[in-house]
Amino acid sequence: MLLNQFLLLSAILFCIGVYGVIVRRNGVLVLMSIEIILNAVNINLVVFSTYWGIGGQVFALFIISIAAAEVGVGLAIVLLIYRNRRSIDIDELDELKG
Amino acid sequence: MSTLLAALSQLAPDPGYSTPRIDWHGLAPEIVLSAGGALLVLLDAIKLERAKAWMPALANLTLLGTLIPILTLAVEGSTRSLFGGSFVVDPMSLLLKAMFLVVGYVVILLSTNYVAEGDYWESEYYTLLTTSILGMVVMASARDLLMIFVALELLSIPAYMLAAWRKGGRTSNEAGMKYYLMGVFASAILLYGMSLMYGVGRSTRLDVIAENLARPEMQSGVPIVTLAMVFIVVGFAFKVSAVPFHQWAPDTYEGAPTPVTAFLAVASKAAGFVALIQVVFYGFYVRPDIIEPLFFVLAVASMTVGNLIALRQTNVVRMLAYSGIAQAGFMLAPFVVVGDNFDSALSAVVIYLVIYAAMNLGAFAVIIAIARKTRSAEITSLGGLFSYMPGMTVAMTIFLASLTGIPPLGGWYAKFSVWSALLGAETALGVAMAIVMAVNTVIAAYYYLNIAKTMWFDDAPDGDVAPVKVPVGLTGAVGIALVATLVFGVLPGLLTDIAAFGPVSAALGGG
Amino acid sequence: MTGLVALLAQVGTEAQVDTTFDVPANVVFAVTAVFMIVAALRVVTTKNIVHAALWLIIVLGGVGVQYLLLQAEFVAVTQFLVYLGAIVVLILFGVMLTRAPLGVSTDLDNDLKPLGIGAGLVLAVVMGFALIQSFGADQLDFRAYDSALGLDDPQTAAAGRTGAVADGIFGQYLIPFEMISVLLLAALIGAIVLARRD
Repeated sequence: MLLNQFLLLSAILFCIGVYGVIVRRNGVLVLMSIEIILNAVNINLVVFSTYWGIGGQVFALFIISIAAAEVGVGLAIVLLIYRNRRSIDIDELDELKG
Repeated sequence: MSTLLAALSQLAPDPGYSTPRIDWHGLAPEIVLSAGGALLVLLDAIKLERAKAWMPALANLTLLGTLIPILTLAVEGSTRSLFGGSFVVDPMSLLLKAMFLVVGYVVILLSTNYVAEGDYWESEYYTLLTTSILGMVVMASARDLLMIFVALELLSIPAYMLAAWRKGGRTSNEAGMKYYLMGVFASAILLYGMSLMYGVGRSTRLDVIAENLARPEMQSGVPIVTLAMVFIVVGFAFKVSAVPFHQWAPDTYEGAPTPVTAFLAVASKAAGFVALIQVVFYGFYVRPDIIEPLFFVLAVASMTVGNLIALRQTNVVRMLAYSGIAQAGFMLAPFVVVGDNFDSALSAVVIYLVIYAAMNLGAFAVIIAIARKTRSAEITSLGGLFSYMPGMTVAMTIFLASLTGIPPLGGWYAKFSVWSALLGAETALGVAMAIVMAVNTVIAAYYYLNIAKTMWFDDAPDGDVAPVKVPVGLTGAVGIALVATLVFGVLPGLLTDIAAFGPVSAALGGG
Repeated sequence: MTGLVALLAQVGTEAQVDTTFDVPANVVFAVTAVFMIVAALRVVTTKNIVHAALWLIIVLGGVGVQYLLLQAEFVAVTQFLVYLGAIVVLILFGVMLTRAPLGVSTDLDNDLKPLGIGAGLVLAVVMGFALIQSFGADQLDFRAYDSALGLDDPQTAAAGRTGAVADGIFGQYLIPFEMISVLLLAALIGAIVLARRD
């Protein structure tokens, strides 16, 4: 197997994730796009760890657990917003502009 | 019996594993801080409502207690390297840790009345604040991509939640959401850069990465090195709100509870800079051909755009947010000469960071004190301040003058050390950067001094000049920031000796 | 750059590439990769939030399969348990609690589509070029990797690789590991405070 087949797959996922973050206006959908980017990162780390030892796999594990914490916090904030405005459209967050 | 023994032998550690040797003294600050944080959680869980009154004091004691091992480490003055060099305790990191702790202490002083009088969850507020400070303290020592990332998340995730802490307030919710989405996206990009950097640098440790990046075969034909550095720097540029990645900052600062804003604008931004110092000065400095132009663009854009927008602001907090973006540009300037004038550039960034923390925190403290009366953050509401709050007016004027860079205040010395690092490098980029910085200092003077003029000479908007009672904590916070701003300006030797890695005992003795 | 394999040889490792496993592994890779890319595109383009979450499951599962191909068994198991088991469920809860419409909604995208497509394509071209230029046709070599970890017996290699991950977490990366425990506690406390009604 080639190193690059994995790296290119991860690059494509990264680009798709960036597109999603730019284009989506629903908070939960933006979060999903960010998860795609994080998975691209993990593929990179794991494939490089076959060259440079176990560090990459450990890094990937840490990213998975921190992503869980991030998603939990994000959904708490999304719920808070939903409760106050009945919408989680981030383009409608416009009270702070000046 | 034999089965039991067999089962026990299964528990024996794998022969490949050796317990890491732990330098308890070197880790003592982090241990004290985490123990204090755990105590806060426990007290909150056991005593519930009755614990509320104790929380700020206990959090403050924790931060002060953490300063003790830092002091003993500083007096000893040696450089300790733990876990094979991924965690380094040296004089610079101790200075930064002490700075984060003092900033945290002042933020808690600012928060005490604000949080108790508003509609907030109190105990959890201090728990999250302490956790975030723990992340910053670790960041000051982290010399490993993985540790830098975990420290960054440890300090950011509680900060996302604190920005949204005024639960019923729609602006606070919005501030938290914007900060969260930008922060998470930024860390995703940062991580992508780190994963590529791990691939070309062959390790997560920055010293090994520097070694590998310096190899001759890595110098050309490996565009991934450039790409990885760009992603990492862009990720941190979001965190330190450098242009063009700054849009979240003014909205978040305006919407978040003001003490949290002070924490974000000072501590969180400083932590972003510390992370940048670690990766650039301990890893990427071997490739100045990539790093220097990158930082030149970021620094010029940040100071120019930040200043020009700050000129138009009518809200003090938003103005401080944009001026903070411009100040971030000044702090990014020394990175432009990392390859040519390494030592002065490093000490210039550290000095600027410490002094910026003192003066900006002071400005926020005064604004919180004033807002107790005016209930507003518009610049016009500051009119006639001298007639009813003369002490605060004088303090605010000193902070604004220091932010402008007027001698003999701390801000002047910070700018001076950046200039001398830039000019000392004797490179075209360095000189160009110094000129841009000089022009921007003049622009910034206009809006800083404009506020001073409003406070001293304009009339109070509603004619109400009854004196205001300011809580002791707030006065103390302003006092600490004031002393730091003045002392660092008058006795800059105190800071230079530490930042230039001189033995701290000499700095403490010799002044 | 002469390629990472040449570098490996330079540091003295035997760069004997094992190709017997290659054909089936490459087939699995290709099939999974196609599924993942299509699913990822659906996540960012679909007009139905629940469908987006379901497509995300395919992306995340595919990533887990790639980990298995890369012989990172422990990371793969964690991927299935934490990502598929916990994070997707959390996201679905988020969708449910915010009463997202279960059918098609038309207002999920903003009008930055040209910017998004442009940014995505430019990034893809730049990164594709940089990756091919930097790593060319470098081969992965699992045998060298295993023997670097001291795992020459293929029977016990899988357990040994997981053991090596554990040694890493509780050895060199002990401080980040401890910090994560503090982080999870703080995230838990804060998220409860923010999400509860009061």
